[in-house]
Amino acid sequence: MSADDDHWMFYFDPNRCIGCHACSVSCKQRHNRDADADDWRTVSHVSSGEYPDFREVPISMSCMHCHDAPCEQVCPPDAIIKREEDGIVTVDRDRCIGCHYCAWACPFGAPTYDEEGLMSKCNLCLGEGPGGGHGQPERQTPEEGGAVPACVDDCVGGAIKAGPKSEIMQEVSEEAAERFEQGAYEGRVIVEPLKEDGEMADSIRNGDELNIVDMAR
Amino acid sequence: MSTTISVLSAALAAAGNSEVIWHPADYWDLSIPVYLFLAVVAGGAYLTGASACLIRSLRGKGACCLETEIARWGFLVAIAAAAGAGLAVLSHLAVIYRAILFPIYLTNFDSWITIGTWILVLLSLFAVVCLLLQLFGEHAASDEGASLFPRTIVAWVSPVLLETIDGLVDRVRPPMSVFAGLHLLGSLFALGTIYTGFELAIVDTVPLWNDPVIIPALFLTSGVAAGIGATLALTMLFEREIGPVFAGYALTVSLLSAVSLALLYYGWILLAASDAPAAAASYATLTDGWYYVGAWLVVLGFVAPMIIGLVIGLATFADRLSPTLERVGGPALIGSFGLLLVGGLLFRILLLLAAAQNPLVVIG
Repeated sequence: MSADDDHWMFYFDPNRCIGCHACSVSCKQRHNRDADADDWRTVSHVSSGEYPDFREVPISMSCMHCHDAPCEQVCPPDAIIKREEDGIVTVDRDRCIGCHYCAWACPFGAPTYDEEGLMSKCNLCLGEGPGGGHGQPERQTPEEGGAVPACVDDCVGGAIKAGPKSEIMQEVSEEAAERFEQGAYEGRVIVEPLKEDGEMADSIRNGDELNIVDMAR
Repeated sequence: MSTTISVLSAALAAAGNSEVIWHPADYWDLSIPVYLFLAVVAGGAYLTGASACLIRSLRGKGACCLETEIARWGFLVAIAAAAGAGLAVLSHLAVIYRAILFPIYLTNFDSWITIGTWILVLLSLFAVVCLLLQLFGEHAASDEGASLFPRTIVAWVSPVLLETIDGLVDRVRPPMSVFAGLHLLGSLFALGTIYTGFELAIVDTVPLWNDPVIIPALFLTSGVAAGIGATLALTMLFEREIGPVFAGYALTVSLLSAVSLALLYYGWILLAASDAPAAAASYATLTDGWYYVGAWLVVLGFVAPMIIGLVIGLATFADRLSPTLERVGGPALIGSFGLLLVGGLLFRILLLLAAAQNPLVVIG
């Protein structure tokens, strides 16, 4: 099972991510959040192996606006809503009781809790600030006049994309699309397969992807 | 922190893959296990009170008997435990008034928190009604017993008030058939406190909790046993003679403790055999340092009432209760019930502290 075609979702390419945290910083700026507030978007650096076979991969994560939204299912006051029109998961902070049940349900550790104890998380820049997405009209693509999500806008490597599933699927590699269709990450996010360094170098030489000009921009 | 690191390391080793992202898994404080425990204790105590009323009817006894004393203590413990559970969960919430206005705010009936809130509130209401019917009225006025202390308090506040409540309760006292229906419905809500187990069991991200059979069943058996134990312990503090009624309840606690122990063992085996990294993390936590000591205390909390309840129960029914056993039997039972209460609470605390969420595994 995966998202409806017109439902928004995230795409992430770890091969293009340079781990600069620009996405999480820009998210905080867009939503006017304190520097010490928990991040709606986090960048983790995961590593494996030992020298000389050591590898570290930066992973940028936020609420993935899951098609099955486990947080919505457990939320007692119906404060969390998976919107039918665009698939974005929003929070009505006027109903949240701060029970933290959603945090346990979320597979991505996305819910954060502020000083008031209320839940807030990524709303795909549907609105600004905690709870800003609730009650907003249907999300528009940038072509339709909608804002580009801050994390997507400021990602220097073009590693993050967001949009309706049907549009995102046209931009991903064949491998990523195939893996997504097979249920990787339970169909909640599209992630490019990690490439070995040699493979990556070939891609750059061939100009297939990871355009150096893009990276420099 | 060091525990977290050691847990993490153990889990990473168990997973054989370091490309994982762990989540904090520290979203609840200790008020939640207290809530989860007291809610079922309330259910167990209510069942004790209701069953004592039933036994009294079946034995054709009058209002002034041991069963009435057990019933009153049962409903008292049920109300106290439910109130404690309510306060514990409210203390954890960010916006308390929205929880208090639960009929308006808690609208998601797919959520076990919503379902549980209704069960706990309705159970409390049934327990209050049952207690009032046992505590006031003509029969209670002519009765004696430590469980009547709320009457003393009301009389101290105002003798006229006590007389008014007695009269009111006598006027509204329902016939036996309605009484039976009341106890039956209340007992369903008491059994419904199994919801506390489902609150954890449906959390897919935590393998330690995510078992829709063992966790709810274990929560129910251990909590009900603790509720019966708490009621019996209070009754026995004032009524020391061990008779067939006490023996029957002691055997029930023994059986429930045995079932809890069996479920605990089965759950432990499953946890140890699980391939999930978070299950390995939980297992590593529970077999380390004070957690391990706590885990054995939980086992002791089930073993003690199982053995002591069995010995005293069987000896009583076989009419082989020696004077020595009769003398030490009461304190031994009370002590074992105390251990059961400690073990039941500790079990839930450990479940929370050892909980680890499935890490996000970065697929290569």
